[in-house]
Amino acid sequence: MNLSLRKSEEQAINEFDQVVVGNSLTKDAWRRLKKNKMAVIGMIVVIIYSLLAAFAMFLPIYPYDQIILDHRHLPPSLTKNAGTLMMDARLKDLYFKAWKGGSLIVTDQQSAQIKEWIALNETNKVWDFCLAEGQRQQQAGTFTFSAADQRTIDRLQEKIDTEFLINVDKVFFTDPQTHKTHNLAKMSYEEVLKIYADLLGMDVAIIQEQVQSEVESQVLNNYKATTPDLSAEEYAANLVLELQALGEKGVSAIAKTNVLGKVKTNITRTAERELKREISEGSAHFPIDRQIQINSSIKADITATKKHDRRYYLGTDYSGRDMLSRIIYGGQVSIAIGLIGSLTSVLIGIILGSIAGYLGGKVDFILMRIVDIMYGLPYMLLVIIFMAIFGRNIMNLFVALAMVSWLTVARMVRGQIMSLKNSEYVEAARSMGASTGRIIFRHMVPNSLSVIIVYSTLRVPAFIMQESFLSFLGLGVQAPFASWGSLVGDAVNGMTLYPWKLIFPAIAMTIFLFAMNFFGDGLRDAFDPQSKNQL
Amino acid sequence: MNKQKPLLEVRDLKQHFPITSGAILQKQVGFIRAVDGISFDVYPGETLGIVGESGCGKSTAVRSISQLHKPTSGSVLFGGVDLVTADKETMLKARREMQMIFQDPYASLDPRMTVRSIIAEPLVIYNRRGLLEKPMSNIEIEHRVEDLMERVGLNKLFKNRYPHEFSGGQRQRIGIARALALNPKIILADEPVSALDVSIQSQILNLLSDLQKEFGLTYIFIAHDLAVIQHISTRVAVMYLGKFVEISDAVRLYDNPLHPYTTALLSAAPIPDPAIEKGRQRIILSGDVPSPDKERFGCYFYDRCPKRMPWCSCHIPPMFDHEPGHQVACWLYDPERDYHAVTMEEAVRDSASSQVV
Repeated sequence: MNLSLRKSEEQAINEFDQVVVGNSLTKDAWRRLKKNKMAVIGMIVVIIYSLLAAFAMFLPIYPYDQIILDHRHLPPSLTKNAGTLMMDARLKDLYFKAWKGGSLIVTDQQSAQIKEWIALNETNKVWDFCLAEGQRQQQAGTFTFSAADQRTIDRLQEKIDTEFLINVDKVFFTDPQTHKTHNLAKMSYEEVLKIYADLLGMDVAIIQEQVQSEVESQVLNNYKATTPDLSAEEYAANLVLELQALGEKGVSAIAKTNVLGKVKTNITRTAERELKREISEGSAHFPIDRQIQINSSIKADITATKKHDRRYYLGTDYSGRDMLSRIIYGGQVSIAIGLIGSLTSVLIGIILGSIAGYLGGKVDFILMRIVDIMYGLPYMLLVIIFMAIFGRNIMNLFVALAMVSWLTVARMVRGQIMSLKNSEYVEAARSMGASTGRIIFRHMVPNSLSVIIVYSTLRVPAFIMQESFLSFLGLGVQAPFASWGSLVGDAVNGMTLYPWKLIFPAIAMTIFLFAMNFFGDGLRDAFDPQSKNQL
Repeated sequence: MNKQKPLLEVRDLKQHFPITSGAILQKQVGFIRAVDGISFDVYPGETLGIVGESGCGKSTAVRSISQLHKPTSGSVLFGGVDLVTADKETMLKARREMQMIFQDPYASLDPRMTVRSIIAEPLVIYNRRGLLEKPMSNIEIEHRVEDLMERVGLNKLFKNRYPHEFSGGQRQRIGIARALALNPKIILADEPVSALDVSIQSQILNLLSDLQKEFGLTYIFIAHDLAVIQHISTRVAVMYLGKFVEISDAVRLYDNPLHPYTTALLSAAPIPDPAIEKGRQRIILSGDVPSPDKERFGCYFYDRCPKRMPWCSCHIPPMFDHEPGHQVACWLYDPERDYHAVTMEEAVRDSASSQVV
């Protein structure tokens, strides 16, 4: 009964009583795309990359901009943590020195081999050999470190065992009169200021003055960064204006952030002392996640992890940042540039191209000559000049790339529109009184959309390459932000010593570009009506 | 019939397309005279067939009437308004009453739109502009589309499908449904059956005449197939090189063609009877259709006419009323004078003097 009710919806039936389902061109194309294995794989890879990039902040990875100077240049490792790797590096260095000093004795043949490696600049091989040989001899009992070296090793070991990172998550304040507990971040500036003054045991007025001058210098510095080369009086005058523009609310918001930071630093110091004491007593068990009492009214949630327990599966860069998270966050920037760049260029291209193609005549002539002129200009130079004038940030990079890349789209769309302009269905639409906009955007653009889609998917890798190129030159994304291009660019110095810094971002980028190209190719085949017989 | 007020009056309609040369500085070097001064009336309820060989300007004439090309000169009076000089708003109102059916059913439907949106498009456009007699809701438009589909013999359940899933005949039905959507008074049909199989042609022709009876439509019907024109038309105009050479009731034209071109054209149509076909005398015209790019001072058919006279070479024949409802543009039928005896010198002198005057 239920079934027959649901079936009662009308359906188209052919002469053999079979239900006929409508079939649009897009559906056809999708079916053809599904047959192309490489394109499907490419699509899946692209989707995975995009998901990773989009949800990077929810992934269990280290912050991409956290600098730990002790962890500089750590090689990738699946099994060893940062402490072990640091120790390895130190040991390699010490064994090498020992070989040089003559205390690590190797055969003549091995010695000659090491010298040859040094001559060839293959430092990694030397180190690896020294480490393996030294450890073997040490175990065999034929080699011992000098007292000074041993002390260095012990000190490092102690550092690895005891150092930790503290993070203050939330600070709570309990009012001594009402006994109500508040989150410090949600309290007003005045309240926070008073708590801070109490914490330091100082007068509120003095601290307020201090904070105020800090805010002023902060605003001034920001202003100096955006508009350099003014005289001191002009800066002073502008500072007043800027502060007025911020208003009392804005100023107190900045001040509150500053004071909160100071409170947290203070708490961190207290917690550090406490944890150090616990470690020396041997009662600390990492990772720590607990609430500590600072004084009678302030409590704080802190988390502490052992600093050298971290694992870097893809190694670290020159300032000890995790490469894995930098590659993922770099992908975020690179993919965003690819997508937004091609989207904007396609939008501009469609609008200008269709206007030129449909209206023809003088409008067409002028628009196409503009396109010709811009084609004639060296494209990268234009972007570089733009970036140099308007400053180097991601937004300007988007604008600069989109500004010069709509040319080809515009020409392509114009050609499509011109060929469709005289088709009978456009004439039919005109005879029905359709407006120019309707004809262009309801009839012509949808009919040239397949070409546009294919072109823009093939455009995405090109954009990523261009962004990489600019970042490589140092004009693109600025640290601490990362993009694949800037990662590669940073890694080029010291390519032989630290090859992982170059290889991993390069692999990540290559795979994505491959996938995108295969996907684009697949789309082109799928939208090509002549491949219809492959169905 | 001629007592009625005409629905559409076309007067001296000319459509010249410029020929340009030069890559950068384009200059005009001449005109293609696709339609070179045609005048006729169309009365409500009739079907005017326009016939002629390829390239004689039939399609251009129809496109000029519906203002798809702005005519060079002349006037098109429709419902008391001259469409040539009409502003946009008036033009839109006129277009509601004047719809077109196109030649190629494969090209005249947008491949990206479903049948429903194709048929609903004129309704949607006029609804949005507020030019319908009464505004329609989406559901009303939906019902109207289904109604139209059934009226032209399409299954209304196919409304969500795309044009490429239909055969040529079905597509032409979609085109007809679209033309009917706004309840037009006149439909300009530009070779609506020439791209179809013969068996489908007859279906479409019958559909068109059924619809004409049902809605009281008026057609201007273009074809190069004489049999089709004979079947559907009440009046027939014969076109040659951008001009009408003969216009008459269909029966009278086929029984008694007057203009030498019409006789030649009719004799070219095969007769489906081998016995008659064998003994039939065909008139074979010498030469090709001349290029329409130069201005003519004599009869347009002079170069190929089997009955030409010196007079014809320098005098353009007006439309002579041979009988009521039968006009012909040929000096042979001038009731006032016989030109056979006129020599070339006299003719040239006459034309020169008339031009001076």
